[in-house]
Amino acid sequence: MKRSLSLLLMGILIIGAVMISGCTDNNAGETDTEVTGADELTAAVGTHGGEPAAGFNPITGWGYNHEPLIQSTLFKKDSNADLINDLATGYTVSEDGLVWTVKIRDNVKFHDGVPLTAKDVAFTFNTAAGAAGDVDLSMLEKATAINEDTVEFKLNDNQATFIHKLSVIGIVPEHAYSEAYGQNPIGSGPYEFVQWDKGQQVILKANPDYYGQQPYFKKLTIVYMEADTAFAAAKSGQIDLAEIPSSYVDQKVKGMKVVSLDSVDARGISFPMQPNTGKKTKDGYVIGNNVTSDVAIRKALNIGIDRQALIDGALNGQGQEEFTGVDKAPWGNKEAIFKDGDLDEAKKILKDAGWVDTDGDGIVEKDGQKAEFTVLYTPSAQERQALAVSVSEEAKKIGINIKPEGASWDKIDTLAHSTPVVFGYGSLDPTDMYLKYYSKSYNPGSYNNIIMYNNSVVDQYLRKAITSTDQNIANENWQLAAWDGETGFSPKGDATWLWMATINYVYIVDEDIDMGTPKIQPHGADIFGNILEWKRM
Amino acid sequence: MTASGTISKGLFRGFNLRQKTILLTSFISLLLIAIVASNFFIDNRSMSTDFESKNLAPSFDHPFGTDWMGRDMFIRTLGGLGLSIMIGAIASTISTILSIILGLLSSVGKIEDSFVSWLVDVFLSIPHLLLIILISIGLGGGATGVIMGVAFTHWTSLTRIVRAEIKQLKTQGYIQVSRNFGKSKWWIAVKHFMPHLIPQFILGTILMFPHAILHEASVTFLGFGLSPHEPAIGIILSESMRYLSAGYWWLAFFPGLSLLIVVLSFDMIGENLDKLMNPKKAHE
Repeated sequence: MKRSLSLLLMGILIIGAVMISGCTDNNAGETDTEVTGADELTAAVGTHGGEPAAGFNPITGWGYNHEPLIQSTLFKKDSNADLINDLATGYTVSEDGLVWTVKIRDNVKFHDGVPLTAKDVAFTFNTAAGAAGDVDLSMLEKATAINEDTVEFKLNDNQATFIHKLSVIGIVPEHAYSEAYGQNPIGSGPYEFVQWDKGQQVILKANPDYYGQQPYFKKLTIVYMEADTAFAAAKSGQIDLAEIPSSYVDQKVKGMKVVSLDSVDARGISFPMQPNTGKKTKDGYVIGNNVTSDVAIRKALNIGIDRQALIDGALNGQGQEEFTGVDKAPWGNKEAIFKDGDLDEAKKILKDAGWVDTDGDGIVEKDGQKAEFTVLYTPSAQERQALAVSVSEEAKKIGINIKPEGASWDKIDTLAHSTPVVFGYGSLDPTDMYLKYYSKSYNPGSYNNIIMYNNSVVDQYLRKAITSTDQNIANENWQLAAWDGETGFSPKGDATWLWMATINYVYIVDEDIDMGTPKIQPHGADIFGNILEWKRM
Repeated sequence: MTASGTISKGLFRGFNLRQKTILLTSFISLLLIAIVASNFFIDNRSMSTDFESKNLAPSFDHPFGTDWMGRDMFIRTLGGLGLSIMIGAIASTISTILSIILGLLSSVGKIEDSFVSWLVDVFLSIPHLLLIILISIGLGGGATGVIMGVAFTHWTSLTRIVRAEIKQLKTQGYIQVSRNFGKSKWWIAVKHFMPHLIPQFILGTILMFPHAILHEASVTFLGFGLSPHEPAIGIILSESMRYLSAGYWWLAFFPGLSLLIVVLSFDMIGENLDKLMNPKKAHE
C-alpha cells in the first residue's frame, strides 16, 4: 500500500498547490491598503508585449507603437491620431520627396545635462537603419546634421509615410550610447530612468528639466506580471493600474474602476493566396494552400462569419467589428464594409464555385479536395485561441472544416506560407498596409505579405498612396487599394484575409485616477500615451 | 489479518477475501472502462463553446461547472481522462514490449547483458520529465510526441525486473535438469520461463499506468504536446490557474480530483491483481 499512499500524496499536493495559490489571492483581496503615495503610480501593463528583452532602447524597438517615456520623439500623435511636433519645430520636404529637412528645439537637454543636438538625431536614425530593428527604415539612405538644430534625411524611395517613422523612434544620446544602452537608458523624455529589476519592475521618476508639461505622477513603477497575477495584485491594493484579460471585465473591486479602451488592433486570419504546387521557400517551407487559394472559400468565410457573435462570445463583448483591418483609420475604406453573418449567401458562393457536399459529412468538397484547413494561433494570447475556436465552429455552418491548432511563433514561421494564422495588426502608420499587401513587400522574417498576394491594380494604388505627400490623395489611394468597385484586397475584392474584430484593451484602475482622453490604442496598447494628462482627483 | 478483519464487517459480508478482491477490482475496472467508452459518445457539439453560459459554478446542468468559453467541464474532464488513459495504455504497452525485448536480450550473453544494464542506467540518470519533453519535441510534438515520450521512458524498471527474474530462473535446479534432458532453449523459454514472467508483465503494465498518466498530465500542464484548446487533464489544470484569482475554483478542483481517482484506481487494480495472481502475497 506504500505506493498508493505516495501517489495519493502526490495528487493532493498538485491539487493543493493549485487551490492554495487561488485562495491566498482571494484572501488578499479583503485588505484594502494603499502602499504608494498620491503622486506615485504603480502599474502592471504591457502584459501583451511584456518586458523588452533588449532593454529600453529605441534602436531595438522600445517605444515603437507606444510612448517611450524615457526618450522623446521628433513628432508624436495626439488623442485624435493627428501628428504634432514634439522635439521638432517643423519640417520641409523637397519636390521629389527624397530630402526631408527637420528643425528641432534648441533648448533640450538629456537627463545627464548634455544638450540634445541635431547630431544625436542623425546618429539615432543612422544607427536604427543599420540595426534592422522592429522599425522598417529600408527607405532611409542617410541622416545628416546640417547645424546644431537642423537634420537632413536623404531617402532612396520617396515614401511620404516616412513622417511616421520620425514619430516612433526615440532619440538617443550619441555620447552615451553603447551596446548596453538599453540597460541604463538616458533620454530627453518626461521620465528619467531610475532602476530596472529584470523580470520584476522598472522604476522611473519625473524629469525636472523636461521641455514639455510636467507630469502629475512624479514616480512611475511598471511591474511585470501575468495578467491574472496583476489582477490579484490590484485587488489587494498593491498596484494602482493593471491590464486585465477581457474575461475579467465583470469583476468588481472596491475602490477601482474597469476601463475599456477602443483600439485599432485588429485580429485577422491570413489566407495563403497561392495554391500548393510543391514549391518551397528558400528555407524549405511549403508554399500555398489548395483550399484558401480559392477565392470562393475566402469570400464565403468573410460573408458567412457573424463578427458580432464572435465579439460577444470570444471577446466578452470587448471589441468592435472589423472588415478590412484598417476600418477605423482615415485610410480605411467605408465602401468595403458589408453585412456579414449571411449563411445563405455564403453557401451560394460555395455552390456556384463547385464546392458541394457529396459524401454527406457536412463538409463541402470540390474535385476530391475537402474544404478543410488548419488555423494556427499562439497559445499565450487567449483572445486568439478563443477567436480561432469560435471561427471554426461558425465555419462548420457553411460546410468548411477549420481545425484550430496552438503553435509557437517558431513553429508558425515554418508553416505560415501554407497555413492560415491568427495575426494581430494595429498601427497608426498606413505603411502597415503597404507591407501587408504590396507584392514586392514579401519578407517572411517579418511576416510582410506572408500570404504572397499579387494584384497589379492594388500594387499601383499602394505605390501611389505611399509616395503622395498630399494626405488626401494618399488616403484616397489607400482606400482604393481595399476596394475600387472592381477589385481590392478587402473581402469584396480578393478577400485576402478574414478580419474579425479590433480588441479593446481592458484595465482596472484606482477610482480617483483621471486618465484624460486616452489615445486610440495601437497593437500592444499605448496606455501611457497621454500620461502627461493623468492626475489623481 | 487486519485487512480481512475490517473488510468482512462492511458491505461485502458473506464473501471471502478473494471474492471481495475480485469484486472490487472488477468494479474499479468497470469505472475506468466507462470513462474510456464515454469518450466515443462525446460528440463535437457537447464539447463546443457556448458563450451564453460562461464561468458557471457547478449545477445540475453542469456538474463540474463551465469554463471561460462556456464549455462543460464535466465533458471536458471526461475527454481529458479518456485521452490520459488512452495515452497511458499505448505508452505502457510499448514500454512493456520494450522491456520484454531488452529483458530477453540481456539473457543472451554477457555483452548484451551489460549493454542493457548500461542503457537502463543512462535512461535513469536523466530526469524523467526532462527526457519526456526532449523526446516528445524531438518527435515533432503533438499527441504522438507525448505518447512516444512517455513510452520510451517508462520501460526501465520493468526491464530490470525481467532481467533479474530471468537471471534467477537460470540458476534453478529444474532448468538445469530440463537442459540435461535435452529440451531445446525455446521449449525451456516457453514452458519454464513464461509462466514466471507473464504475471510480471501484466502487473508491470498496469502499475505503469498511473505513472504514465501523471507524466502525461505534467507534460501537458507545462504546455508541451497538445494545443491549449484540446481537452487534456494537464491543459485543463494549467488553464484553471489563470482563473483562480477570479474565484472559479471548480475549474481546478473537479478535474484534479478526477485525475487523482483514476490514478489511484489503476494502482488499486494493480495491487489487487498482484494478490490474486500471487497467492503468497495475499496474506501479507
